[in-house]
Amino acid sequence: MEFKVKKGFDVGLAGKPATRITDLAPAPTVAVYPLEFAGMKQRLLVTEGDAVRQGAILMEDKAREAFKLRAPAGGQVTSITRGARRFVEEIVIAVDPNAEQERFEAFAAAAIQGLERTVILDQLMTTGYLSLIRQRPFSHMADPAAQPKSIFINAMNTGPFQADAEVVTAEDPTAFQAGIDLLTRLTDGEVHLCVGATAGETLSGAQRVTLHRFEGPHPAGNTSVHISRIDPMCSSDTVWTVKAIDLVSIGRLFLDGTLPATRIICLGGPNVKPEAQQHYRLRTGGALEPLFSAALTAGDQRIIAGDVLSGTTIQADSHLRFMQSAITVIPASEERYFMGWTMPGLKRMSFSRLFASTWLPGKKDRPLGTHMHGEERALVLTGHYDKVMPLNILVDYLLRAVLAGDTDEMIALGILETDPEDFALCDVICPSKLELQEIIARGLRQIEEEGI
Amino acid sequence: MKLLLKFHDSIRPLFEKGGKLEKVAPLFDAADTFAFTPAEQTHRGAHVRDAIDIKRVMVTVIYALLPCFFFGVWNAGHQYNMAHAIAGAGFVADMLRGLIIVLPIVFVSYAVGGFWEVLFACVRKHPINEGLLVSGFLFPLVLPPTIPLWQVAVGITFGIVIGKEIFGGTGMNVVNPALLSRAFLFFAYAKSMTGSVWIASHGDQVVDAVTGATPLGILSAMPEGATAAEAIASGQVSFMQMFLGTMPGSIGETSTLACLIGAVMLLLAGVGSWRIMLACVIGLLSTAALANVFGSSPMSQIPPHYHLVAGGFAFGAIFMATDPVSAAATNAGKWIYGFLIGMLIIIVRVLNAGFPEGVMLSILFMNLMAPLIDSFVVDHHIRRRLKRA
Repeated sequence: MEFKVKKGFDVGLAGKPATRITDLAPAPTVAVYPLEFAGMKQRLLVTEGDAVRQGAILMEDKAREAFKLRAPAGGQVTSITRGARRFVEEIVIAVDPNAEQERFEAFAAAAIQGLERTVILDQLMTTGYLSLIRQRPFSHMADPAAQPKSIFINAMNTGPFQADAEVVTAEDPTAFQAGIDLLTRLTDGEVHLCVGATAGETLSGAQRVTLHRFEGPHPAGNTSVHISRIDPMCSSDTVWTVKAIDLVSIGRLFLDGTLPATRIICLGGPNVKPEAQQHYRLRTGGALEPLFSAALTAGDQRIIAGDVLSGTTIQADSHLRFMQSAITVIPASEERYFMGWTMPGLKRMSFSRLFASTWLPGKKDRPLGTHMHGEERALVLTGHYDKVMPLNILVDYLLRAVLAGDTDEMIALGILETDPEDFALCDVICPSKLELQEIIARGLRQIEEEGI
Repeated sequence: MKLLLKFHDSIRPLFEKGGKLEKVAPLFDAADTFAFTPAEQTHRGAHVRDAIDIKRVMVTVIYALLPCFFFGVWNAGHQYNMAHAIAGAGFVADMLRGLIIVLPIVFVSYAVGGFWEVLFACVRKHPINEGLLVSGFLFPLVLPPTIPLWQVAVGITFGIVIGKEIFGGTGMNVVNPALLSRAFLFFAYAKSMTGSVWIASHGDQVVDAVTGATPLGILSAMPEGATAAEAIASGQVSFMQMFLGTMPGSIGETSTLACLIGAVMLLLAGVGSWRIMLACVIGLLSTAALANVFGSSPMSQIPPHYHLVAGGFAFGAIFMATDPVSAAATNAGKWIYGFLIGMLIIIVRVLNAGFPEGVMLSILFMNLMAPLIDSFVVDHHIRRRLKRA
């Protein structure tokens, strides 16, 4: 099926990553960030100084003991950092290239199609890789006990920027197909593969999935949009979602019986040297410092794990996150400019038509920075958010319901069909400079805590 | 520029917590962010932001009001000079006279409104809201040029304090503050807002032939048996004159042409709601056509298109009804809201003998109804979602 999404907005950020992939020298350290696995009750099983194999258990979930976090590479645990309320924030391992590997069950490509559901889920749980499969509503890790109505594979991205699904899957089509075959065993319903208009052979040629093409400005590539167009969720439905690039890792895990040692990500943004704006094959959980020291330009900058719309700020000495597939670097300080409220604004990025840049022909990618361009104000312009919201959601009213803490109203207005990332563009274009993603996330948390 | 920025940075500590002038921090913040965009950076969520902010939005509305303002200045001066038989005074003389009449009104509106805005901002410790820029400019434009300045001060005080600040300030108000200010004067000081108040003059020198009545005033005061068609035919009321606005009336609202220029600016900028504007026109025309068919009074026989250029309709539909805070917020709601405003205007104009004009009251009434309309629309939306489930 083909779908055209009309509402939306392409932000136009300079520094789009090229499709070539460079292998990076093995990283000296790797790290695990347990807070990435939201909702996990931490039980730490290693201490500083322990020697670990690749795939050794570092931590398990007290609430669900089958779920483990494992070492992405073998070596010695050098530091365990704790943060607020003694939660473990980071476990760093100095890599020993000769360390042994933990073995999991390996399957032939043909055998995967006949695997039992429980076998697959057990292996995903014990390796921690189940966290790559997300569950709607609430977008947390898939619950093995749940029966998903259908599974959506997201193989496209319209925001700036995420690793290109075609590029990553073409590197390992066998693992991608194996990943799809695993998914077909996890649901009685359909497995949907959503691709962009420019998807190449690997994605278009995938077997045993229903292929859908989406076209249009961001957020045409968001999973919520795909679900709402293909098979809308009802209040009692559970749907699983997964990114195509993560499916490659899952497929590799089952084909090889070992944790995948590498992961492909993209590096982009105005503060990355032009020749370095591309894809990289990095060690899973590997240190990013070697990459940054070669690829980034000088000057104040913000390094973002993920894209500029929904990503999180990280430090330059950080490691690759488990679920991360992109790094974006943008200028962090922008000078205050004179009378922004009336200057023509030839170089300003705006969804509105209040700046001269909107009226000039041709769409330009700009070196956008972290400037807020204003201060927080009361909500004044009504219906403004709806212009970039392709979902059937009244954003103003959903926002008010969340601010009022009215969970019944939030659910009635469809919050359960959304993910905070769907409101990223509302964040961007908000003239009152609110943080809608944060507000929606708060609403979802409240519903989860109070129960539906 | 750099020097100014340095100066701001050097006095900033005075206004920060613990500084000598901490209490009036919003004043410094307003001046500081007026000169330069705030230094604020994004923290989380979207790391890049649109260049738009509320200041820019409000200032765009001010720009869209300028055609009405300049025409209003000229017209106020022109009407004055005509009344005083200073025939052929010329454009410059008309403008100068107009400025003498209008500028004090605008000044008082901004000064007194600004005082309240700053006071509330300082007490509540929030930044000064830009909403006043628009309210303080809209209000003078809907006043007669003869309005005593103290009434301007009282009016804007009522509108800002009772209409807006007691609800929590900009964004929280139920009705349009500028319009509420006018309504307050209309009922509290009716003598200053009705009758022969539409031409600024020194009473004793007025030329006899000039009545100073507005077209709607003429039509509604017609003797028994006369028809609107006669008034139009006799040239007492001319469509072209009403369209251009060279007639007595409130300062900024006589010229439909100037309002239309403003409307084009608002729509091109995407700030005003085209749905509300169009719905107002449809509501007005269709109800006026109905009145033509079923009505018998002289007012009901006015051709529908005359209603478009009469009184404050254009100004109200373009600048007042579209205030996003007090209007309906849903798209469907905006259609209903606008249509009912247009309809109510005709009902007041045609059926109510007391008021020749009904734009102000219709918009205020629909401001009050807007949350109800939205509530219907949102309920409908929720029911449709449930049906799908």
